[in-house]
Amino acid sequence: MAKKSKSRLTANMKNITEVTSVISHQLKTPLAGIKSALEVLLSGDLGSLNKDQQEYVTLALSSAAKMIGLVKNLLDASRIDEKRMQLTLTKADFGKIVERVIGDLESFARAKNSQIITRIESNLPVLSIDETKIQEVVNNLVFNAIRYTRGKGSIVVAVSKKGGNLLFSCADNGIGMTPSEQKNIFKKFYRSPRVVELATEGSGLGLFISRAIIRQSGGKVWFESKQNQGTTFYFTLPIKPIQ
Amino acid sequence: MSTPEQQEPKHKILLIEDDKFLIKLYSDKLTREGFEVSMAITGEEGLSKVKSEKPELILLDVILPQKNGFDILSALKLDSTTKSIPVVMLTNLGQESDVKTGLELGAVDYLVKTDFSITRLPEVVRKHIALHTKKGK
Repeated sequence: MAKKSKSRLTANMKNITEVTSVISHQLKTPLAGIKSALEVLLSGDLGSLNKDQQEYVTLALSSAAKMIGLVKNLLDASRIDEKRMQLTLTKADFGKIVERVIGDLESFARAKNSQIITRIESNLPVLSIDETKIQEVVNNLVFNAIRYTRGKGSIVVAVSKKGGNLLFSCADNGIGMTPSEQKNIFKKFYRSPRVVELATEGSGLGLFISRAIIRQSGGKVWFESKQNQGTTFYFTLPIKPIQ
Repeated sequence: MSTPEQQEPKHKILLIEDDKFLIKLYSDKLTREGFEVSMAITGEEGLSKVKSEKPELILLDVILPQKNGFDILSALKLDSTTKSIPVVMLTNLGQESDVKTGLELGAVDYLVKTDFSITRLPEVVRKHIALHTKKGK
């Protein structure tokens, strides 16, 4: 009996994954249309916009970009479930990827009254990784560190060589995690009520996708956290290319 | 001042795409930039228009009715009368394996609609027409 319901549950989960994948794909075409139309308007091709119109179109474009990001995350999550995620490996300077992400997030950190301290070892070896996906992981972790810190935040991002791996860490003095949150943090769509209170936006897919990317890249992800004291996320990436 | 007769002939582009809104957006953009754009909404219609209209460049979607974009691309590259026409894939299939398939089948570029800005489309089209012309000389 239990076996039967388990297999039914597995079949239902498979259906949900397939439906999510199909719907996400179907959403991409109208989203590409919305994005393109707004870009044309903003470019002034159809006549110049006044300041207010420009502001509204820019806001609409930014919402469209968020929706595209969400659809991509849903597609990535489906691909992970179906073991179809693909990595595009190229030679990349991991330190530069981290610096780029921090550069992009610095103004967000300032707006949240936080500072980012970077400690990247020099002469790090070049890695064979999926640059876009690894950048997405670093962005997720640093973005979360900024987002889930109350008051004056201090975020320390470090990269060093440890044996046959590069070790990345991102430490914050934010809200930390309760034991129950720690158990669920890598689950798909999980967002704790404390997190929702701090930031309503978010799909709960970022860490699920990030862990899958690092694992598929041959590395490991883990964290240390104390409620109301902060969290440090770590991941490794092998220096030797994955087979 | 130059008269219309003295102006350079417009570059002919064929857009094979089945979404009406995207057809309007892409064709309007290219027309405003001085291209002559014809359109096809199915794979079969696209193949037939390539032969009858001899475009200088083809913008090709992948998911299309009747024949998909990869099948169209293969057919174009097997035909001696069409194989040299540059084809730019313009699609929402952005997995690495899709990009690889498109480029291996002979596309000169692979653009993912949600990642690519329409404002850059004329520049990309011009670049590939120029490269093709240079190659032909």
